[in-house]
Amino acid sequence: MNGWLAFQGDLIEQMPLILAGLMQTLTLTVIVSISGLLLGIAVFYGSLSHNTLLSRFIRGYTAFFIGMPLIVLLFLMYYGLPQWGVKLSPFSVAIIGFTLNVAAYNSAYLTSAYNGLDHAELEAARAQGFSSQQIFKLITLPQVLRLSVPALTNQVIGNLKDSSVAFLIQYTEFFARAQELAATNFQFFKAYMLAALVYLALVSLIVLAARWLERRYAIVGFN
Amino acid sequence: MALIEVRKLVKKFGEQTVLNGINLDVSEGDMKVVMGPSGCGKSTLLRCLNRLEDSTSGSIYFRGEEITRPDVDVRALRQHIGFVFQQFALYRHLNVLDNVTLGLIKLKGMSRAEAKRKALFELARLDMLSSADKFPGQLSGGQKQRVALARALAMDPAVVLFDEPTSALDPVMSREVAELMNRLHQEKVTMLCVTHDLQLARQISDKVVFLDKGVVCAEDSIDQLSRHHPDQKIRAFFGQESNS
Ligand SMILES: Nc1ncnc2c1ncn2[C@@H]1O[C@H](COP(=O)(O)OP(=O)(O)OP(=O)(O)O)[C@@H](O)[C@H]1O
Ligand SMILES: [Mg+2]
Repeated sequence: MNGWLAFQGDLIEQMPLILAGLMQTLTLTVIVSISGLLLGIAVFYGSLSHNTLLSRFIRGYTAFFIGMPLIVLLFLMYYGLPQWGVKLSPFSVAIIGFTLNVAAYNSAYLTSAYNGLDHAELEAARAQGFSSQQIFKLITLPQVLRLSVPALTNQVIGNLKDSSVAFLIQYTEFFARAQELAATNFQFFKAYMLAALVYLALVSLIVLAARWLERRYAIVGFN
Repeated sequence: MALIEVRKLVKKFGEQTVLNGINLDVSEGDMKVVMGPSGCGKSTLLRCLNRLEDSTSGSIYFRGEEITRPDVDVRALRQHIGFVFQQFALYRHLNVLDNVTLGLIKLKGMSRAEAKRKALFELARLDMLSSADKFPGQLSGGQKQRVALARALAMDPAVVLFDEPTSALDPVMSREVAELMNRLHQEKVTMLCVTHDLQLARQISDKVVFLDKGVVCAEDSIDQLSRHHPDQKIRAFFGQESNS
């Protein structure tokens, strides 16, 4: 086949770089999936507050970061902030930018699950003598997290795919390396096909994990 | 001194006066039934008793202590007042046993083992032991209501409030719940039940309190109210055989 040998040679030669890039991709995905979930929970918790100032701030936060394209946010932080004297590494920008963005989405998923809850249960807990924090921790959160498993795991898949955007702020992750591979031998189709297959394989793993999570936490009559 | 004394209780929602000077006593061991037309403020009255709603004026005394004051420890108060809801309101993500133990562990500070022992005792008392590891979604309405009652009783409350405990149940299950309440009455559990289910009222109590337009209009046996009360509206309310 046309250029197959050259491609294979370059692939083997660049394999360490490609694997390092893959590690960067996975690192970014794992970190922002966790930090985005934790911040998302915090934002959701704040949105339930009776403090109007806080809940208004949080509504603004969610609207802002859901409305702003991720790439714009990353460019703003990486290329824009240095003009104000704030210089961050590509890694820091990626982590912070993704986390802010992902948390906004996650809190929106949790909020929509919350709106579907049976509020009589929350009332029953209040009548039993639980504090608001206890109700959140013992009733609200376990229920909304369960209900949001599909949305939250889709978000993890989104995080993996979106991580490729980070190469535009010099974060040399997997896709950046795939591009270098393509550039060395002009085998664009093979290089990008390889990238596509790797992303597909990773997504499949996440889907399998999500199915397992759903089964593990499935409760009769609760969905 | 009665366990609960309600004096001139007024509750307004904005312009609307829902309770307009309620006076009511619940004594230890009572099985008190409050009836009244839909929207007359029965639920609101119960919710004022455990401060899920704050009353506008008037007082409520619980064991002689005024609980309508702003500095009352509301959460401690609520732990002494069991509440059973029309829609059961079991925690759906927890199995039956955990529904009962949650409050024991997190509110009463019991150890897991201690809480489990107590919960199993209460579930056995209400014939729900065999369902201990089922989830609410696997239970019938009547079974759910019994678990809700076990959850309330496990906290050793001074009184259990029931808000229409049978109106989401079919007649057979309602009857079961009524029999259960009778048994608890014999065991000296203090109960206050609001309902517009005349069948239930007849099954659990000889006397009822009639609430209308935000005040207690009458307190008497159902037969007296349906036959001899001077107010035609009250005679009509109690004359109907079934009104659920
Ligand atoms: N949180 C609230 N805000 C405003 N109005 C309320 C609120 N809760 C109850 N009300 C009003 O107070 C009145 C009494 O309501 P409540 O639920 O106490 O009646 P009820 O006797 O329990 O009726 P039902 O038999 O239908 O359960 C109703 O007109 C209702 O609309
Ligand atoms: Mg009601």
